Amino acid sequence: MSGRIIGLVAGAVFRESVRDRVLYNLVAFALLLIGASLLLAQLTAGQDVKIVKDLGLSAMSVFGLFIAIFIGIGLVSKEVERRTIYSLLAKPVRRSELVAGKYAGLVLTVLVNLAVMGAMVYVVLAWLSWGQPAEVGRSWDAPATDPRLLVAMFLVFVQLTLVIAIALFFSTFASPLLAAAFTAALFIAGHFTADLQHLGSVVKSPAVALMSKGLYHVLPDFALFDVKAAVVHGQPIAPNRVALAVGYVVLYSGGLLGLAVLIFSRRDFK
Amino acid sequence: MTASPYPPRTGIAAAACLTAAVLLHVLASRSLSAQGAPGNEALYIRSGEVVKRLALSFDALLADVYWIRAVQYFGRTRLETGAGKSYDQLYPLLDITTTLDPQFNIAYRFGAVFLSEAYPNGPGQPAAAIALLEKGFGANPTRWQYVQDIGFVYYWWLRDYVSAARSFQRAAAVPGAPAWLGPLAAVTLTKGGDRAGARVLWEQMIRTGEHEYLRRTAEHRLVQLRVLDELDVLNHRLARLHAETGRVQTSWAPLAARGWISHDPPVDPAGVPYVIDPATGLASVSPKSPFYPLPVDTAPTSWPAVRPPS
Amino acid sequence: MPPAIQTEQLTKDFAVGFWRTRPRRALDALTLDVASGEVFGFLGPNGAGKTTTLKLLMQLLFPTSGRALILGRPAGDLSVRRRIGFLPEQPYFYDYLTAEELLEYFASLFGCPRSERRARTARLLDEVGIGSERRLALRKLSKGMIQRVGLAQALVNAPEVVFLDEPMSGLDPLGRRDIRSLVLRLRDRGCTVFFSSHILSDAEALCGRVGILARGRLVACGRLSEMLAGDVRGWELIVSGMTAETLAPFAGRLTSTARIAEGRHALEFPRTTAPEALIADLASAGARVVSLTPVHPTLEEYFVEQVGRGGAAQRGE
Repeated sequence: MSGRIIGLVAGAVFRESVRDRVLYNLVAFALLLIGASLLLAQLTAGQDVKIVKDLGLSAMSVFGLFIAIFIGIGLVSKEVERRTIYSLLAKPVRRSELVAGKYAGLVLTVLVNLAVMGAMVYVVLAWLSWGQPAEVGRSWDAPATDPRLLVAMFLVFVQLTLVIAIALFFSTFASPLLAAAFTAALFIAGHFTADLQHLGSVVKSPAVALMSKGLYHVLPDFALFDVKAAVVHGQPIAPNRVALAVGYVVLYSGGLLGLAVLIFSRRDFK
Repeated sequence: MTASPYPPRTGIAAAACLTAAVLLHVLASRSLSAQGAPGNEALYIRSGEVVKRLALSFDALLADVYWIRAVQYFGRTRLETGAGKSYDQLYPLLDITTTLDPQFNIAYRFGAVFLSEAYPNGPGQPAAAIALLEKGFGANPTRWQYVQDIGFVYYWWLRDYVSAARSFQRAAAVPGAPAWLGPLAAVTLTKGGDRAGARVLWEQMIRTGEHEYLRRTAEHRLVQLRVLDELDVLNHRLARLHAETGRVQTSWAPLAARGWISHDPPVDPAGVPYVIDPATGLASVSPKSPFYPLPVDTAPTSWPAVRPPS
Repeated sequence: MPPAIQTEQLTKDFAVGFWRTRPRRALDALTLDVASGEVFGFLGPNGAGKTTTLKLLMQLLFPTSGRALILGRPAGDLSVRRRIGFLPEQPYFYDYLTAEELLEYFASLFGCPRSERRARTARLLDEVGIGSERRLALRKLSKGMIQRVGLAQALVNAPEVVFLDEPMSGLDPLGRRDIRSLVLRLRDRGCTVFFSSHILSDAEALCGRVGILARGRLVACGRLSEMLAGDVRGWELIVSGMTAETLAPFAGRLTSTARIAEGRHALEFPRTTAPEALIADLASAGARVVSLTPVHPTLEEYFVEQVGRGGAAQRGE
């Protein structure tokens, strides 16, 4: 696989996303939300920093998700539907390079968007803490502009790269609508896997308990690596947790992308 | 299809990656749950009403999810051995569950049992249990069982026999309630505080309890009452010995030597030996026993009166 | 020198039906050669399998059996794709890019260095007739403009073989003329052109050889002139010195009479009539022969006949 070609395809994806009006609406909305959290924070004495952190991280996660799904789906599905892919595949581009390039391009898009939103969160937090006397600052669980917040944001990004891999995987064989639906469903399911694990303790049948436990391990688990609450409360995050999260996502995404390449390579474009 | 350019190599690599990811997940979940997942139970939204509105039309499903979490939270916190453990998420979780699905029967009944359990086996919040049951009765005015359960909580945990009797009467007034609730109210008034009265209560629960869990809880209570009876006997013998020897007993050996106990050491119904508190010389149930802690009010707090041997 | 394009028993079945049990044969054992430098017309009615063939050649589809070779190498090979160009049917490109950006993107995929990309893009866009529209986003261009951009992107790597699927579709007569002259220029440069069409007049004007596809089968293939020459329908005789009255007695032996100029008539008569005898009789009536030309069937008539015959063969008649 040629890195140069992958880079070119990734660049094209990034350029497309930058010019896609959907993106601007989403980002504007996100920034609005983060700004609005300032207002909310004024209403709850002393809890303002926590709320801004909570809301900021959640907004980044949700809007990053929307970007990943709406644009991710278009990556392959829409291209095949609109047949722009025919002229591209006639060029000396391997199908695997196409999949890899699309993935890299979208990861880059999401990274840039998260960076923008993250910067905004920090600006709001800095503004909040700037006017406060020292005693108030001490009462917070964690400093306002806590560098550990970056760890939480990083993990949000890592989780989103997995969502992108899932979206791309479905994109290689399903229509845009179905691919979006499957990805969203898997994302939601992935947040409730912890409950799936404990289903066995409330349900009598051992077969169901076994199956749900199996599903718990096989479905992509988005909640296991969620450290938002810990960061917000100033609790320490073990570095091995971050490493674990990254390793898990790398393996899972790698597997999905491999499957995507496999499916895409054998596909007939009718 | 012929001429597909990708050898099975890619497929094998992909399968290997996914398998590795799953294995990593298995390992991770094991190690992380041992540590205790940090702050995952931080409920951002503690109000049931808000969650209900956010749940769109998935109320019942979400109620199941929150119920599972409540059970798991209760069980996990129970197993914690650290000091200062807290059950403070339990009521909010149960509240959200029952707001999402107001007909969630076991959430009310089991939830009340969880809430009223004394610390450290539970949060020791009988008032919260009553509030939950009242909420359930408000949403389901034909479920006399909830009011009966309220009566139990008043009786067993709050030692408020008047309120307990009143609850049983309320329950009796619900159309469709069984006939024995009225007499139960009467017994409660007369024998409240008495072990015999408590026994009637639990036996009633066993006979009519619609869930095995509730029946088992009642059976457990009955055995605790039996343990109290056994301890009464043991303490009576210890008191006699103390009166005779003038010394506080620290072991069972002297009792065994006199043939006053059939077994040395004497064991409770679970097979765990009873222990003697070295400071007071009183027998009680071992902290390792499943019957620990015993309900205090129906246990003696001082030496039973014993006539010295003539 | 090996043929530029070669197929051997190229077959494609599609699985239809919900349980995928009934295969539909879209292309049946196609075997043809296209020599280097030729302009080959791939003709057939809609649904005959022309686009399927092109997709098989581009490896957008995988064959059920048989094989296709381009420039001596298997179709779809990376090295092959560097030397060919493809214009898909009713093309659709990235909305958000301009024509310039699209071409520069595609040029970069071929490894064209940045310095050269701009020059090559400008040259190609000139050649296909795109002026200032080249800086507009593609979604703002008309269908005809998109077709021209499509042709430009097919030529971005100065290919040795060009595959065009319905290149004239969506173009007005002026556009068609431009494309036609472009194809001829390509031929003059030594490029092999393989194009599919159902517009026969274009094929007649451009192609050296044609292949006619009907219902997945190649029903005729060869030099256009030979295919049509062998079949003489009749004769066209141009005479002078006659009038309508003097021609009247001959009406029974003629299929048509037309006055083409002052004192000149064009007469058509069927194959069955021997020209010599008729001319002698006309001469004695005062006619002077200007020209005698055999009338061949038009490609359209030939086409319809072949397709019909192909259909009959398929039905087992």
